[in-house]
Amino acid sequence: MTLFDLAIRSMRKNIKHYYLYFFALILSVVLYFVFATLQYDQAIVEQGNKMISSAFLAAGILLIFIAGIFIVYANSIFLKRRSREIGLYQLIGLKKRTVARLLIVENTLLGIGALIVGIVIGMLVSRVFLLLLLKLIGFETTISVSFSIEAVLQTIAVFIGIFALTTIQMIRTVYRNTLLSLFNTEKAGEHPKKPKTSSAAVLAVAGILLIGFGYWLSERMFDANFFLNISGVLISTIAGTYLTFRVTLSWLLYKIRSRKEGHLGLNNSLSIAPLMHRLKGNANSLTIITILSAMTLSMIAGAYSFYYSTEQEAQAKMPFDFIFENEEAFASEISAEMKEKGIDFQQGIVEILVTEGQLEEGALAVPSDPLYIAVASDEQLQKAGIEIEAPGTNSASLHSTSSLSMFMDNERLPVDLYLQDVKEPIEIEAFGEGNVINWETFYTQVVVNPKKYEQLKTDLAAKGSAEIRRIDGFHILNDEDLEEASALYHQPKYNGKNPRQDYYSTVKEGMESNGLMIFIAGFLGLVFLVSTGSILYFKQMTEAEQEKQSYSTLRQLGFSVNEIMQGIIRKQIFVFGLPLVISLVHSFFALKALSYFFQTNIMVSAATVMILFAIIYLLFAFLTVGYYRKTVKMALR
Amino acid sequence: MFTKIKDAIKTNKKTDTQSVLQAYNVRKSFGSKGNVQQVLKGIDLRVEKGEFVGIMGPSGAGKTTLLNVLATIDRATEGTITISGSDISKMKDAQLSAFRRDRLGFIFQDYNLLDTLTVKENILLPVSLGKVRKKLAEAEFRSIADILGITELANKYPHEISGGQKQRTSAARALINQPSMVFADEPTGALDSKAASSLLGTLADVNEKREVTIMMVTHDPLASSYCSRVVFLKDGNIYSELYKGNKTRQAFFQEILNVQAVLGGDSVDAL
Ligand SMILES: Nc1ncnc2c1ncn2[C@@H]1O[C@H](COP(=O)(O)OP(=O)(O)OP(=O)(O)O)[C@@H](O)[C@H]1O
Ligand SMILES: [Mg+2]
Repeated sequence: MTLFDLAIRSMRKNIKHYYLYFFALILSVVLYFVFATLQYDQAIVEQGNKMISSAFLAAGILLIFIAGIFIVYANSIFLKRRSREIGLYQLIGLKKRTVARLLIVENTLLGIGALIVGIVIGMLVSRVFLLLLLKLIGFETTISVSFSIEAVLQTIAVFIGIFALTTIQMIRTVYRNTLLSLFNTEKAGEHPKKPKTSSAAVLAVAGILLIGFGYWLSERMFDANFFLNISGVLISTIAGTYLTFRVTLSWLLYKIRSRKEGHLGLNNSLSIAPLMHRLKGNANSLTIITILSAMTLSMIAGAYSFYYSTEQEAQAKMPFDFIFENEEAFASEISAEMKEKGIDFQQGIVEILVTEGQLEEGALAVPSDPLYIAVASDEQLQKAGIEIEAPGTNSASLHSTSSLSMFMDNERLPVDLYLQDVKEPIEIEAFGEGNVINWETFYTQVVVNPKKYEQLKTDLAAKGSAEIRRIDGFHILNDEDLEEASALYHQPKYNGKNPRQDYYSTVKEGMESNGLMIFIAGFLGLVFLVSTGSILYFKQMTEAEQEKQSYSTLRQLGFSVNEIMQGIIRKQIFVFGLPLVISLVHSFFALKALSYFFQTNIMVSAATVMILFAIIYLLFAFLTVGYYRKTVKMALR
Repeated sequence: MFTKIKDAIKTNKKTDTQSVLQAYNVRKSFGSKGNVQQVLKGIDLRVEKGEFVGIMGPSGAGKTTLLNVLATIDRATEGTITISGSDISKMKDAQLSAFRRDRLGFIFQDYNLLDTLTVKENILLPVSLGKVRKKLAEAEFRSIADILGITELANKYPHEISGGQKQRTSAARALINQPSMVFADEPTGALDSKAASSLLGTLADVNEKREVTIMMVTHDPLASSYCSRVVFLKDGNIYSELYKGNKTRQAFFQEILNVQAVLGGDSVDAL
């Protein structure tokens, strides 16, 4: 019998163990191949955007990492399950070298199989992904996914690298382990020790406090020490999470258990006891899974929110579709052009005073620099179609969508604004949502009532410390004309000193880049979620195998499948529920902090992503429970 | 004398208040059509309250199969089995589970303790559904742990105690719910002779003092000499029975050896 025959035979016998590893391989190949296909797809390459290709490149590298870690991890579980078999081969007298060769042959066969199956499946599903991507970008052409040789070659190259890693891993298992340890790994599991009460209690509480502190700090990290703060948030939540899994949890479980004085009850015997038994080994992986889940979740929810707020963000920045500043000639020319083309529009003329000013000390969370300010009257703005009203006869509202807006806190109102060369400060009574004049002008905008405006105008103009400028703002009345009007506006003859920005093209560009961002984030998130879910599932499968004997004992003692399953489900609530809940709470706070960057409310889109995330997670929990049920049922024939 | 009992079972299948277990014409076959192996070929057996019954016989005779069938872990192909008045051959799986949990105790050859539970938690498993009041369970635990000499080990994990201690734990677990009957399959199989004698002594003690009915499968004539009756199985039939009566354990042991010599099988490796 040749080595090849032996490999085929052992594979046939081990199909149950292989299918898990094989599944992990195929899954990774499919996802990577889909990604590579998109990367080389004509429709996307032709977009020719430099940002797009570099985003794909970065995501591709990340994807290789995730796939690599996932496969190596699945392989290590797989090897653990087979360690007895590997030991047996050596026991019957096969040389280590022969056993290693046997494993390499197997691994190669599995790898080739996974590559072929994965690429074929990948070809079938990549079309779906491409359509999704193009839809997100807002591309409405129908394109067929072409077969890409580059994608195939790249996939093969990447996975040969990963297979080399797993092969090394297998060889190490054969050479590094003694026979005894090979026979015992299946049983391995530490035994819970009595925690040193005093230090454990301190650390247990510290874990919770650290997380709490991280959350607390995340609420107020936008000040002068931003970078210090954000590192503090990350470090304390990560350390807190680890301590929670490693110490707090075991301490709590220990407390509950010792209070029972041996009367543990079936449910606890099947949940608390095995959890404590494996907590040390699980703490690391649970921490990593939780932190990475939280990061992925925040990343996807953030990208998703960016995507969905693109329009609102543009609206906040650009209340007019486009403007001309002190360019009356251009304004009348484009009016004529639009009339000729039959584009309905509204033109508004707003006069502004441009000057410098400074907010009073403590008006913002950070010390503020002198501001470049445009003062406008609410009456003129209203005529131009901007719905705004000055808060009072002597007070004003302040509008900005620059970084300044992140620090505008309504609780600090009212604040005083000192204009250059004006003694009396203007009282700011409201921070406005969004701009009143397009972002193009870069001013911090102050809206007052007409009387105040006239007064300031005479004051400042007399001293020569303000400049009077004219804004011609346009609203296009029919949405279908937007594209055409935007094209007119961007004609070279209208070029000014600043690059022209209008509402329509800003939204379009935003949709394209944010659509790509959300696609890549979503794709990576999916890959990540599926891998972490699978890892938890695989781990639980192994645990189920290890506990088989316990289940058959319990069945013999007269516990029914359902009674046993209750305890097991309780364990799964811990295993899946804890990382899920903690990562959801983590990302809730991360998003809350992130929402400072948005003018709009992102909680709805963030919640959508979180719910989706939880559903996929629960799917894996159900799979796991299903597997346990099968194991328990089979435990007593 | 035992033909009389047999006749009694045959004539009167109805419950007898004194009998803990009655089995009538129990048959068990394995395999599917065309390849059926009959392992139990019509066993009649009656166990009285407080008896300590040993089951012996050569390997493959069907001892474990018989025990499993009587203990409701496996189903008989044919025949009726009654334990303390309940006909288990008619029960559904769920009923059987509940019956096992509430009325029977088990001691296994390889202990079958749960690694993740302490000695005490293991012992209390059969009463872990909370139907027994905690105080009662605690009292029961104390008295049993005391008899079996494992009170000190209550908070240790299985990996921290010896084989003999594990088997005592397993025995305590079998006794905690005050079962009608305890089934043991080669409980001393993995113990050395000293640990085995000590465990058997305790079992005999428990049998006598608490009037617990025990049925034990064993290969070891010395182990079965602790019983009050030994049933010999051969090829799926009852070959013969021995009662201890007033004999000394040594004399009973000698008798068992004699039957085993006639029966053949593994009497040799017992010496
Ligand atoms: N689940 C099963 N399926 C098929 N055959 C079985 C099964 N269980 C037992 N047997 C067969 O029934 C016969 C009796 O087995 P059993 O385990 O009852 O023997 P035993 O008397 O306990 O033997 P030992 O002393 O070796 O434990 C054997 O021939 C065995 O092969
Ligand atoms: Mg047997």
